[in-house]
Amino acid sequence: MNRTIIILVLSFVSYISILGAFSRYMASRPIAEKLGYVPSVEVVKAVSADQKELVSAFFVTKVLLYFGGLLEKQQNELPIPPDYPAMSRMIHGAVQLDPYNMDAYYFAQSILVWDVGKVEIANELLDYGMRFRAWDWYLPYFAGFNHAYFLKDYAGAARYYEQAGRLSGSDLLKNLAGRYLQESGKTDMALAYLYAMEKGEKNPAIKKSFRTRMMAFQEVRHIEIARDHYRQTIGRLPATVEVLIQEGYLRTPPVDPYGGHFYLELDGRVATTSKFAFVSTKSVGKKNKVQGAH
Amino acid sequence: MKNVAIVTLKGIFRDRIFHGILVNVAFFVLIPSIATLSMRQVTELSLTLSLSLVSFILLLLSIFLGGTLLWKDIERRYTYSVLGLPLTRGRYLLGKFAGTAIFTLFVSIVLGVATYLVVSWVSIIYPPERAILWGNLTVCILFEALKYILVIAVAFLFSSVSTSFFLPVFGTISIFLAGNVTQQVYEYIHSASGSALSPLVCQVAVGLYYILPNFSAFDLKVNAIYGIPISLSGTLLTFVYFVLYAAIVLGLAVLVLSRREMR
Repeated sequence: MNRTIIILVLSFVSYISILGAFSRYMASRPIAEKLGYVPSVEVVKAVSADQKELVSAFFVTKVLLYFGGLLEKQQNELPIPPDYPAMSRMIHGAVQLDPYNMDAYYFAQSILVWDVGKVEIANELLDYGMRFRAWDWYLPYFAGFNHAYFLKDYAGAARYYEQAGRLSGSDLLKNLAGRYLQESGKTDMALAYLYAMEKGEKNPAIKKSFRTRMMAFQEVRHIEIARDHYRQTIGRLPATVEVLIQEGYLRTPPVDPYGGHFYLELDGRVATTSKFAFVSTKSVGKKNKVQGAH
Repeated sequence: MKNVAIVTLKGIFRDRIFHGILVNVAFFVLIPSIATLSMRQVTELSLTLSLSLVSFILLLLSIFLGGTLLWKDIERRYTYSVLGLPLTRGRYLLGKFAGTAIFTLFVSIVLGVATYLVVSWVSIIYPPERAILWGNLTVCILFEALKYILVIAVAFLFSSVSTSFFLPVFGTISIFLAGNVTQQVYEYIHSASGSALSPLVCQVAVGLYYILPNFSAFDLKVNAIYGIPISLSGTLLTFVYFVLYAAIVLGLAVLVLSRREMR
């Protein structure tokens, strides 16, 4: 009996003594490792039996927690590249398990489009989702924005906005789309879209992602206004952003929240070395196309 | 038979397996907070989690009660005293099944009420963009109950053959998994991708599709979660399928038990 108690106490003490090292090891593990591996969707479908919707929700939540943790942990500086291909695989897996899962489409639109630049893949997902969520105006709204802003396919954008307007029972979207395309520049359009998205968002990680992008685009807008003012006054485009600061067209040096430096392209377009993303993105394979759609 | 059903029902309420599985009901309390992890569909996620929990609890009950009730009676030799009464083996088995099925329906109603409460609470805090169709939810839970009653029937068939609980429990789990995937396999072999398969594999798959219970027909979770209309004719057909399939499985179980040698 005494021997049992001694072994028990020793085990307990040993357990306590390794806890610190164990926790440190867990915290130091590569973040990509934590997202885990997604087995073939066909296998998951078979194994999940009648719990496909639950597994789909689990996939999306896992991606969301991974991405949220990454943002929080690195305080907007991401030395470890987020595993975007794995995130994309999970989101695609999620919609194949539950094609009605709105969180999956929303996350794809929020992150895949902006941070990874995979607009075509996101549009494919949205088209796939529209076949199931036939009542939802958000999906054509997202697709319309992607077509107008990223692909500059205004005819395609108008078609999606019209669909969004019809589903939402309001002409507002159609009018907004028209106004953005005709009267405003590209940056204003993006800012208006991001503002609407950020306002309706309750998830802190995604909200933060929108805010960061808005901050970056507001800086771009300031530079654009200063550039246009310079061109009106001087009669030619400024050579650099620094010229605008030195000559008083910009009051303060613009700060890129993604850690890059703003510069002017030869045609005067404002660009940044960060490309509006924390790190360069990995390629998201064509395998991620929604197989279920075919 | 009625008395066997009543005794079975009373026995289940005293069963430790039931008490153990009942602990899972406590997870309903956590659902409202877990559902807030969703970005755009909090109420839908609460429905997903609630229905999954209902399904999981019913699965555990149907496998462990369905797979052990009959076996336990035989193992503990209770059957000798019961079958000494003017009662056929068939009626005894059907009575046990009826008691378990009524219990499953009762548990489904209780879990259904818990789902209503949880989802109502979440929908007040996070109103969904699309109205919840409570009728769909009711039909979904009812069909979940029917599905697991069918699982119990399968477990009874295995129990009538087996001398241990391994076959009833693990055999039922296998049939449950296979029965959930047969529709998917059937659709695959009839698609363009399936044409590459050998004719023998296709014939075996089609054969299994008709022999094994098609549990995916009873899964109406998507309709309940996203408010998608339920086909009346489809549900009626599924109900008829349930009655006929259960009748065949129980008929076989009665036949096997009646001819079984009990020592």
